[in-house]
Amino acid sequence: MSTLPVGMGGSGIAPATIGGEIDNTGSHPGRREPLVLGMDTFGEVTRTVCRVTEAKRPPFAWYIAFGLSVSLVGLLGFCVLYLIATGVGVWGLNNPVMWAFDITNFVFWIGIGHAGTLISAILFLFRQKWRTGINRFAEAMTIFAVMCAGIFPAIHVGRVWVVYWLFPIPNQMEMWPQFRSPLLWDVFAVSTYFTVSLLFWFAGMVPDLATLRDRATTKFRQFAYGLFALGWRGSNRHWHRYERAYLLLAALSTPLVLSVHSVVSFDFATSQLPGWHTTIFPPYFVAGAIFSGFAMVVTLAVPAREMFGLKNLITLRHLDNMNKIILVTGCMVGYAYGMEFFIAWYSGALYEKFAFINRAFGQYWWAYWIMVSCNVITPQLFWFKAIRTSIPLMFILSLFVNVGMWFERYVIIVTSLANDFLPSSWDRFIPTWVDIGTMLGAFGLFFTLFLLFCRFLPMIAMAEVKAVMPQADPHFGEDHGDHDHAAKGSHA
Amino acid sequence: MSHGHSAALEAHLDTANIRLGGAGLKARRLALAAGVVGIGASVLLGGAYGGEHGIFLIKSWLQVFLLVLSASLGALFFVIIQHLTHAGWSVTVRRPAELIASNLTWIWVLFLPFVVMAATGKLGVLFPWADLEHLKAHAPGEYDLVVAKSAFLNQPFFWIRAAVYFLVWALLARFYLKGSLEVGETGNVAVEARLSKWAGPSAILFGLTTSFAAFDWIMSLSPGWFSTMFGVYFFAACATTGFSTIIICCLLLQRSGRLQGLVSAEHYQDLGKLLFGFGIVFWAYIAFSQYMLIWYANIPEETGWYLARQIGNWPYVSLALLFGHFVIPFLGLISKWPKRMPQFLMLGALWMIAFAWVDFFWLVMPTIPHELAEAADYMAIVEAYRDAPTGIFNPINLTMTMGLVGIYAWATLNRLERYPLVCRRDPWLQNAVAFENM
Repeated sequence: MSTLPVGMGGSGIAPATIGGEIDNTGSHPGRREPLVLGMDTFGEVTRTVCRVTEAKRPPFAWYIAFGLSVSLVGLLGFCVLYLIATGVGVWGLNNPVMWAFDITNFVFWIGIGHAGTLISAILFLFRQKWRTGINRFAEAMTIFAVMCAGIFPAIHVGRVWVVYWLFPIPNQMEMWPQFRSPLLWDVFAVSTYFTVSLLFWFAGMVPDLATLRDRATTKFRQFAYGLFALGWRGSNRHWHRYERAYLLLAALSTPLVLSVHSVVSFDFATSQLPGWHTTIFPPYFVAGAIFSGFAMVVTLAVPAREMFGLKNLITLRHLDNMNKIILVTGCMVGYAYGMEFFIAWYSGALYEKFAFINRAFGQYWWAYWIMVSCNVITPQLFWFKAIRTSIPLMFILSLFVNVGMWFERYVIIVTSLANDFLPSSWDRFIPTWVDIGTMLGAFGLFFTLFLLFCRFLPMIAMAEVKAVMPQADPHFGEDHGDHDHAAKGSHA
Repeated sequence: MSHGHSAALEAHLDTANIRLGGAGLKARRLALAAGVVGIGASVLLGGAYGGEHGIFLIKSWLQVFLLVLSASLGALFFVIIQHLTHAGWSVTVRRPAELIASNLTWIWVLFLPFVVMAATGKLGVLFPWADLEHLKAHAPGEYDLVVAKSAFLNQPFFWIRAAVYFLVWALLARFYLKGSLEVGETGNVAVEARLSKWAGPSAILFGLTTSFAAFDWIMSLSPGWFSTMFGVYFFAACATTGFSTIIICCLLLQRSGRLQGLVSAEHYQDLGKLLFGFGIVFWAYIAFSQYMLIWYANIPEETGWYLARQIGNWPYVSLALLFGHFVIPFLGLISKWPKRMPQFLMLGALWMIAFAWVDFFWLVMPTIPHELAEAADYMAIVEAYRDAPTGIFNPINLTMTMGLVGIYAWATLNRLERYPLVCRRDPWLQNAVAFENM
């Protein structure tokens, strides 16, 4: 496809390209660039997306990635079993530092999930049509990330076989969790989040599962996709119900974007520990979560669109927009770092001041500066469009953000604990191989699930993408490219 | 591009529809009269009673000044965000927002009473850190804390910062209004692109200046107290008054026969959503988070600020805020139809401004009891202040609100009269008029 059809926002002449890809990132006041490139019909969208799951074999790169990821899952299984069999002493935890890699990983993975919910819920309410290209796999990412997150609080309790005590289950011992503890609120917040995200993801996928069912050529595929397509026939009434449900689930998910990470931040901020107790934590954690989540979406989208031939559906404009969100949320995180530092000084509280100076210049200075560099400094490069639209650079910068956001949680948790009120109890946390193995293993689990999802489920919300194509406009084709187009269709 | 407008749209862009003309004349005179009478009456009331009432007068001025300031800041935020996101739907309601925001070019005038106070050495009456001698004599515990932060809380730096805030706000408001006026005249898309290009840096400047203004003008009223969230709280308050004012302004313009066929229920629904999302829910989220974290940790350095709002008759105001600023409007505006019904949305917007007023009253008026640092326990303070009045029935509240809001309304109406009410050659205009919620 060398030119854009006129009706798709193109002028009929060969479009500009960036790095060999069609440049649809331009901003032309009064006109939106197309979100789907090089496709004139809905059928092409269906074929492009379904090809990924219908191909006899996935691309060779998929096997390599899957092999690596599954090996890491093995490592995770081994580390967790070793931990359960031996005790939490196999981690590097010590007396002041009673939380370290475990809760760092937990908060990191919960944060990663937030991009999916933001894209599917908040961007839906804000009518951001570009979300349709990325929402499906971002939501899948949310679910897998929450699964990874869930492992850590479960195994860090030590006696993992009584982990169900986290839930307020009536029992003859009259034993209840502490309802006044934010740790319990976390149990509720995260399980609600997981449930709603799963429902939203699944409900949104039903029409696409029906498409896969209808195209299936083997009995097994017909049965499996047919089972989960819930008898979807695409009737007018089905669509009507579907759209209502979608809107309601979006409205339910929207407060969850804020509440989940706010509750996670309460785990720290309700305490009296300097560096943990600060009022900006809830919005700061939420911004950080969205920041890290979008970075992970970019990290996944860049190779996935390459591997599965989805460049015309996940276009440069999608990536450019995501990089802008990374820039915005990165600035918010920077604002929070600055405010914490300023108020630590302004408060006049001795311990608060110490906690922050210690973070920047104490024994963990390197972690602090990795965090600031990756979260505040390098994302500023996204001010430049050339960097926002450069595939290799955005990939590298998104990896930086992933690293930076992991270190943010590490810095918050470990520095505040390691140097608390009493210098005689100060210590230093040194991770053991089990700490590191479990952390890497969680990445393995995440990528394994993601790769399986790519292979077996519709990676892009076909039905939703079609709805934002110009062809979906009932007046499409009546007056090609005329500027009066919008005015004639009063509903446009 | 100019030939791109359909005939129907051209008809809506007729001068009679997009210029206020003489329609606002009566309202303008009324607003100016209310302003002059209100300020005069406030000064008389404050001066006549002296002492306590003098302090109340100046606090009341600060409170209502913050109210009108927040409306313009909220409108400025709206304008910047529209350009930042290349929004198409909002073009027909953006000009009123730009004009409300452009009050920021003169709003510093309302800050002059504080300059006068400083010049006569009385600023310490309002901001305890400005009179360290007095603080040392009356609250030695707090004095030690405040001296430690005098590198920030000192008069020269305070005034430099205030000047920077007013300058930044004036420049931003002017930049966006002038650019929009130029696009309206010429349809020059290069100008539109420039406005978008600078929206990012503008948003950052906006965020930093409003945060520190909140620290300076509200948080430092209790100089011992601190909260990292406070700038965000003030931002949420700006969203409440800003979106409410835009809604009221558009509704009144339509009631006077302007903007017909340009602003529809669709736009009101979206403005209502923004008011609901930012001014009601986000505000409650921030207010709750700040309160909950301080209440839960229960550290004396922080709890005093909330204690001052829980003693005497203050619980009534605090609870009024909880229900009036969140629970009731949350239920009232959550559905689709109230946001699309002009009468109901007008009521909602006026209601929110009323409770934004209460919010600023609650932020500005209470003082943390000095004896708190030495008190054996909280209950002793609670007991001692059992009948402490809030001053909510002080007539100055009424006259001052009438005065400053009157002046503000007068200035806004002047602006609405001077400029076209819509950016008539905006490339997104067509899109905005045709816009529908799904």
